Amino acid sequence: MFSRRDFITQGLLPVFAGSAVPAVFANGVAAAAADSPKATPSDRVLVLVQLAGGNDGLNTVIPFQDGAYHDARPTLRQDQGVLTLNGELGLNPNLKGLKASWDAGQLAIVQGVGYPNPNLSHFASMSVWETASVKGGIGDGWLGRYLNYLDQVGESPNHALEGVSAGSLVPPELRSKTPVTALQSLRTFRLQPVNEHGTQVDVENPLMKFYSAFKSAGPAPFGALLDTTLQEALQASHALQATDATYEAKGSYPSNSPIASSLKLVAEAIVCGLGVRVAHVTLGGFDNHAREKPVHDRLLLDLDQALSAFMQDLQGHGLGDKVLVMTWSEFGRRVKENGSAGTDHGTAAPMFLLGAPVKGGLYGQQPSLNDLDNGNLKFSTDFRSVYASVLQGYLKAPASDLLGGNFEILPLLKA
Amino acid sequence: MDDAVAPASAALTTGPIWKRPVSRRAVLGTAAAGATAAALAVLWKGGELSAILDRARDLTHGYQGALNSERVRVAHLLRRVGFSATPGELDRYLAMGTAGATKTLVDYQQISNAALEAALPAVDPSGGRGVATVGAMQAWWLQRMVQTVRPLEEKMTLFWHGLLTSGLDKAGPAQMFAQNQLFRKMAMSNFDDLLKAVSKDPAMMIYLDTETNRKGKPNENYARELMELFTTGIGHYSEDDVRESARAFTGWTLQGTAQRRLATDSVFVRRLHDDGLKTFMGRTGNLTGDDIVDILVPLRATAERLSARLFSFFAYPNPEPEIVHHLADTFQRNRYNAGAVVREIFAMDAFYSDKAYRALVKSPAELVAQILKATGADAKGYIAAATAMAPMGQLLFYPPNVAGWPGGSSWINSSTLLTRINLANGATQRVRASLPADSLDKLISTLVDGNVSPTTKDGLHAYAAAHAGEQASLLFMVLATPEFQLN
Repeated sequence: MFSRRDFITQGLLPVFAGSAVPAVFANGVAAAAADSPKATPSDRVLVLVQLAGGNDGLNTVIPFQDGAYHDARPTLRQDQGVLTLNGELGLNPNLKGLKASWDAGQLAIVQGVGYPNPNLSHFASMSVWETASVKGGIGDGWLGRYLNYLDQVGESPNHALEGVSAGSLVPPELRSKTPVTALQSLRTFRLQPVNEHGTQVDVENPLMKFYSAFKSAGPAPFGALLDTTLQEALQASHALQATDATYEAKGSYPSNSPIASSLKLVAEAIVCGLGVRVAHVTLGGFDNHAREKPVHDRLLLDLDQALSAFMQDLQGHGLGDKVLVMTWSEFGRRVKENGSAGTDHGTAAPMFLLGAPVKGGLYGQQPSLNDLDNGNLKFSTDFRSVYASVLQGYLKAPASDLLGGNFEILPLLKA
Repeated sequence: MDDAVAPASAALTTGPIWKRPVSRRAVLGTAAAGATAAALAVLWKGGELSAILDRARDLTHGYQGALNSERVRVAHLLRRVGFSATPGELDRYLAMGTAGATKTLVDYQQISNAALEAALPAVDPSGGRGVATVGAMQAWWLQRMVQTVRPLEEKMTLFWHGLLTSGLDKAGPAQMFAQNQLFRKMAMSNFDDLLKAVSKDPAMMIYLDTETNRKGKPNENYARELMELFTTGIGHYSEDDVRESARAFTGWTLQGTAQRRLATDSVFVRRLHDDGLKTFMGRTGNLTGDDIVDILVPLRATAERLSARLFSFFAYPNPEPEIVHHLADTFQRNRYNAGAVVREIFAMDAFYSDKAYRALVKSPAELVAQILKATGADAKGYIAAATAMAPMGQLLFYPPNVAGWPGGSSWINSSTLLTRINLANGATQRVRASLPADSLDKLISTLVDGNVSPTTKDGLHAYAAAHAGEQASLLFMVLATPEFQLN
C-alpha cells in the first residue's frame, strides 16, 4: 500500500484528481482492514473533548460529604441535587446523562489527574497536556505521534481524515507530520467551481499545478505547507464526495450548541465510514474567575446533553462499542473560591472516559482538600498514565514509545 | 539605507553590529549569506555552527532579490504597514519613493481620514450581542482596513487587539467598540500609558474580571495575564507576584449602569482598593495597578518580548537576537514608545531583506481586506466578508482566547485553505459587472508583485486564453495563487 507521502512525492495524486477517486480514499477503513495483520483495530475511534480554560473539577465531581469543600466554597458549593456516585462523591446536578452512563457501567472517572510541578498558565499547561511532556513546547502532539505511528506501520487508511477536528483550527495534540483535517461541514468541504456564463468550471487542476510549482519556488516553510495542505484538502474533499453513505442523526442534539454541532459532525464522519481514528472537539468558557456557578453549570449542561446525544447517535448506528470519549482540561481550579464568586487557576482535576469500551468506575485517589500545595490540590494520577492506558488498552499502540516513558496502566478499558 | 527612512538615532549606524539594523548587503545574495553566517557565528559564541548555517540558508530562497525593485519594495511595505493597495494607491506611494512613502505612512496623524469617516455606516453598538450589531461592528472595522488612508493606524489596532485581547464572548458590544477606538487612538503610544488605559478599559475589565477584583477578594485573572501575555512573558515572575499584583489592581470598577456589559465607564473607588502593603518583584509598598505597570514596563523582558512580537508581526517570525536587542534598546530609549519600535522596524534593512519577503501568512483580516481592495464591496459585501472570516479562524472582536490568534502557519490547514480560496471565488463572482478589464499582467503585477512561479504564470495565461472575457474568474485565479496567500 502506498503511504501518503508516496502520493505526494511521487506525484501520484494528480492522476486521481477529479471525480475518479481511488477506492483507498473512499473506503479507507475497509481497504486498510483487508491488509496484513494489524496491531491496532482500525475501527476504533478516540474522541477527545477539550474543556478549555480550566474546568473546575471540584464542582464537576463533587466531594459533597467533605466539610472542607463546603468551607472553601461558600457561594459556589453544590449542596442540592448532587448525583451521588458513592457515599462521598457525586456528579454535578447537570450531568444527568453522564450519571446514566455511570449507572450503565460506561463511565470511568479518573480522580486527581495532574502532573508534577504544575504550571498555572493556561497555555503552558495546555502545551504540557497536548505534547504529553511536562516541558511542554511546540513538539508533535501526543496523538499526532500516534497518527505517525499508524503511518509507519503501514496501517494508515491513507487519507487526510484519519485525524479530524471540528472547527477551523487543527489542535496541537494532533499536530505531527501526518495531516489532520479541520472539519466544519462535510458538505461544504470542497473547492467551489468557478461560475462562467452559467457553467461551472473546475479549477482544481490548475490550482494544484500552481501550488505544486510554488513548493519548490516558494519560501522555505510555506511553499511546502501550502502545497501539501491543498493536496490533503482535495484528497479529503474527494473522499467526502465519493462516499455513498448517508447520515441521519439518531441522537437528539440540542440546537444552538456549538459543542453539540461539533460532536454531531464527528458522528457523521464516523457513521459515513470515512476512516476517522482520532477526533477532537473543544468546549471553551471554563476560565471562570468570576460569577462561576451559573456559567459553569450551564457549560456542564451543554456538555452533558451534547455527549448524551452523541452516544445515543452512535448506539443508534450500531457503533457504540467502537468509540471512546475522553475529556481533558489544562488544569482544575483553586480549592478556595475567590472574592468574585469564581475560582482562580488550580491543578489536579478528574477526567471522564465514556463509552461501551470502558470499565466503569472510579480510578485513582481523590486528592485531599486539607493537604494542599499553595491552595491547590496535589495530583494523585499522572495524566500520562491515562494516555498510556488509552493508547495501550484501547488503541493497542506502544504507549511507552509514544509517550517517551513508562506510565502505570490503569485498568480503565475492557480488553 | 539611501532610500529608506533614517533610523531613530543616527548614532546607531556606527555602533557595534548587534546594535545596528542588519545590513541589507549582509543578507542579500548567496555569497553574502556566508558572510552573514560568519558574522552570526562570532555573535553566537559557542552556538551550533550548523544551526547558524541553516539559518543563513533560510535567507536565500526562491525570491532572492525580489525586493531590489522599488515597486516591489513599496508593495511589500504597503502589505505590512496596512492591507495592501489598489493600483492607484500603489502608484501614488511609488511616486514618493520608499523613504517618502514610509514617512507618509508612519506619520499618519497629519493625514485626514474624513472621507473614510463619511463613507462608513453608522454603528450603534449599545444593547446586546445581536447578530446584526456584531456583524455591523465587524463590517465597520473591515471597511476601515480596506478604505483608510492611515493604514498603519488600523494595522496597529489589529495588533493590539491580538495582544491585549478582549472578546465579545464576555464583554459587551459597546465595550468592545470603545476598546477598539482606544487602540486606534493609542496605536503608536507609550506602552505604559496604553497598559494603564487598558487596565481600566471596561471591555478588559469584564474580559479578565478586574471589575470583580475587590479589597479582601482579589481575582488573579488580569494580574496573571498582564505578566504572562502582555509584558514579561512566563518565567519572569512568581505565583506570589501574581497574588500580590492582583491586590494592587483592586479598586477599579464599572459605573454608569447596573448591567455590567453595558457600562462603558470605569471609576476608582477607594474603599474597594486594598491599600495594605504588597510585595511585588522585590518592592514593597501600598502599590496600585499603575505602580505594577510602572514596574513591569521598564523590565528588559517586556522590552524584548514586545519588540519581538512587533517585528514578527511586521517583518518575519523568530527575529535574530541582535534584532530583538536593538529594538528593545529603541523601546527603552524612547520612553517605552511602541511607535518608536514600529518606525525603527520599517527603517531596518532586515525589513527589506529576502528573509522578510513573503515570510508571513496573510491573516484572514489581511487576506479578506486585500481581496476586497481588489474586488470592491458594498455594505452587504463587507458584512458577508467579515462574517466569512470565522471559518478561516479569525473573527474580529472574537479572539479565540486571551492569548489571541496564534497566527503564522496555524492559519493554514485543509479547511481554512479551501475557505480562503472559496471566499475569493465568492467575492469575485459578486462584483463581476463592475470589474475593470485589466490585463492579466497588470493583475499579477498589482496583486502578487509580478512575481509568480513560471508554471503559475503560464497557467494563468492559458486560463485567460481559454476563458476570454471572464475577468472575474481570472481575477479569482490570481487571488487563489499560493503567492497571494502569503504577505
